[in-house]
Amino acid sequence: MTEPAVRVEGLTKVFPIPFRRNRLVAVRSLDLAVAPGQVYGLLGPNGSGKSTTLKIILGLVAPTSGTTKIFGRDSRGVRSREAVGFLPENPYFYKYLTGLETLRFYGKLCGLRGARLTTRTNELLDLVRLQGARDRRLGGYSKGMLQRIGLAQALLQEPKLVVLDEPTAGVDPEGSREIRDLILDLKGRGITVLLSSHLLAQVQEICDRVGILAQGVLVREGRVEDLLAIESQTELILENATPEVLAQIKELLGRSSTRLVEQRQPHTTLERLFLEATALPPGEQP
Amino acid sequence: MSAPRHRAFSLFRVAALTGNTFTGLVRLKVFYVLLLFGLLLIGNSIFMAKLTFQQEFQVLKDVSLGAMSIFSSLLAIVATAQLLPRDLEDRTIYTILAKPVPRYEYLLGKLAGVLLLLVLSLLAMSALFLVLLFVREQIVLAETLRQSAGLPPAQVEEALAGVRATAFTADLLPGIVIIFLKAALLASLTLFISTFASSNIFTIVIMVFIYFIGHLQATARTYWLEEHGAGWLARALLGLVALAFPDLQLFNLVDDLVAGTAIPLALFTKTAVLGCVYISVYLFFAWIAFHGKEL
Repeated sequence: MTEPAVRVEGLTKVFPIPFRRNRLVAVRSLDLAVAPGQVYGLLGPNGSGKSTTLKIILGLVAPTSGTTKIFGRDSRGVRSREAVGFLPENPYFYKYLTGLETLRFYGKLCGLRGARLTTRTNELLDLVRLQGARDRRLGGYSKGMLQRIGLAQALLQEPKLVVLDEPTAGVDPEGSREIRDLILDLKGRGITVLLSSHLLAQVQEICDRVGILAQGVLVREGRVEDLLAIESQTELILENATPEVLAQIKELLGRSSTRLVEQRQPHTTLERLFLEATALPPGEQP
Repeated sequence: MSAPRHRAFSLFRVAALTGNTFTGLVRLKVFYVLLLFGLLLIGNSIFMAKLTFQQEFQVLKDVSLGAMSIFSSLLAIVATAQLLPRDLEDRTIYTILAKPVPRYEYLLGKLAGVLLLLVLSLLAMSALFLVLLFVREQIVLAETLRQSAGLPPAQVEEALAGVRATAFTADLLPGIVIIFLKAALLASLTLFISTFASSNIFTIVIMVFIYFIGHLQATARTYWLEEHGAGWLARALLGLVALAFPDLQLFNLVDDLVAGTAIPLALFTKTAVLGCVYISVYLFFAWIAFHGKEL
C-alpha cells in the first residue's frame, strides 16, 4: 500500500490559557490521510483548528497527543520537512531582501548551491512571473507579489508536498486565479497539495478531497463530488434548447413520477465576470 | 532534480542564516552607532589640545576603549533583542523552520550574524582609534623633535622613545579582543532572554539590569565578603547572583591598559576561555528554551 503523503492519527492539541484553570482544545482526536498527488482542502471557520493542524504537521507546534507523519516520517523530526514546501497565511518575508535574494536565501536553507541554486531561482521567478521584479526589495512588493514569491520559496527544493495556509487571503481576484492555476499546475506534476481556505468556491474548484473542521473536530470528510452530490437529483444542462424541446421534456416528465425541481439559465461566476471585465486588450498588456 | 541529502548539522545552512542576519542588521542601519563613535573621538581630540602628550594619549585610549566597550555592548544587546520577536511577529520564522533547518542551526546563525556585525564594528572603531592615535603620535614626535633641536642625539632618542612608549603598543590588541568577547557574551545572553521574552523592549530592559548587576556584583562581593564578613544568607545570595549573572567586571581590562600595564598572557587566556564558556552556556540555554517552543 502506498504511504500517504500526510497521515494524522488521533491528533489532539490543547493550549493552556495563562492565569486560568480552563484550557483551549484547538484540535480534538483528528484522523486524516492525504494520498500522494491529491489536492486536499482543510475548511472551517476562524478558530476551528486549521492553522494549528497545519503547524503540527509541519513540526512548528507539538501535539498534545496523537501523531502526524509526512511520507511516513514523524513530523517532529527535521528530516520530515525535506520534501515539504510551506506558505503561511499572510507571509511577511524579510523586507530588506530583493525577490532574488529571498529565493537564494531559502534555496541555501534547502541545501541548494552554485549553478543549481541559480538555475532553480530563475526557473521559479519565471514560474511566478516575478523575473521583472527580481531586484526590487520585498518592501515594495504588492500583496499578490508577496504571495507569489512565497509560493516560489515553497517550491524551491521541488517538494513532494506543498502546504498552503490561506493561499489567496487578501489577494485580488486576478492574483487569486493565478495562485489557483499554480496549484492546478502542481497537481498536474503529481505534487500533493494540502491547503486551508475560506474561499469555498475555489476549494470546490481545485480540491479532490476536503475535510471540514468545526471547533477542532472533523465534522465532514471525503471527495468533493461525493460530499456535494444530492443523490436523489440529476442536473441536465442543455444548449440551444428550443421552447418546443423544453415542452416535450416537460411532457415526458409529467408522464412519470419525476418532479422538475427547477428550470433556470446557468450563471457565469462572479470571478469570471470580473476577469473578463477588467482584462486589457491584447496589445495593452503591461 | 532531487533535493540534496539532509545533514543533521550543516555549516552551509548556518552561514546562510548568518549572512541573512548580518544583511538585515546592516540594512537596518545599526552601523549608525559607529558614526556616534567617530564624533565622540573627534570631539575628544579637540578637548585634548590642552593636555600634555602623556595625558593626551592616556585620555584618548581611555575614551576610545571605553566607548568601544559601551558601543559594542549596546550594539550586541539592541541588535540581538529584536531578532527573534521580529521573525515571530512577521511569521518569517515559519518559512525558515518549515524547511529542513534544525532549531539549533537557526539560533547559531542568528548569533553568528550579530557576532559578525560586532567584529566588523570593532574593526572599524579600532581602525579609527588607531589611526587617530598614530596621527597624534606623529604630531607629538615632530613637536618633540623640534623642541629637542640642539640636544645630544642620545637625549633626543630617549625623548622620542618616551613618546612612542605612551602611544600605540601591541598590548592594546588583546584588550580589544576582550571587549569583543564581552559584547559576544551579552549577545548570547540577550538571545537566551529573547527566546522566552514577550517583546524586544522587555529583553532590552532585562539586559540593562543584567549589565549593571554584572558590573556591580564583584564590588558587592568584595564589600560583603571581605569587609563585612557576611553571614550564610548573604553568602548564599551572592553565590546565586554570581551563578545567574555574568561577572562583567572580569572583562574590564581597559583600565590596566590605559594605565600602561600590559595584560598578562595567563589573565588574557583565562578571561578569553571564561568568555567562550559563558557564550556557549547561554547559547545552550537558548536552545533548551527554544527547541520545544510553540510557534
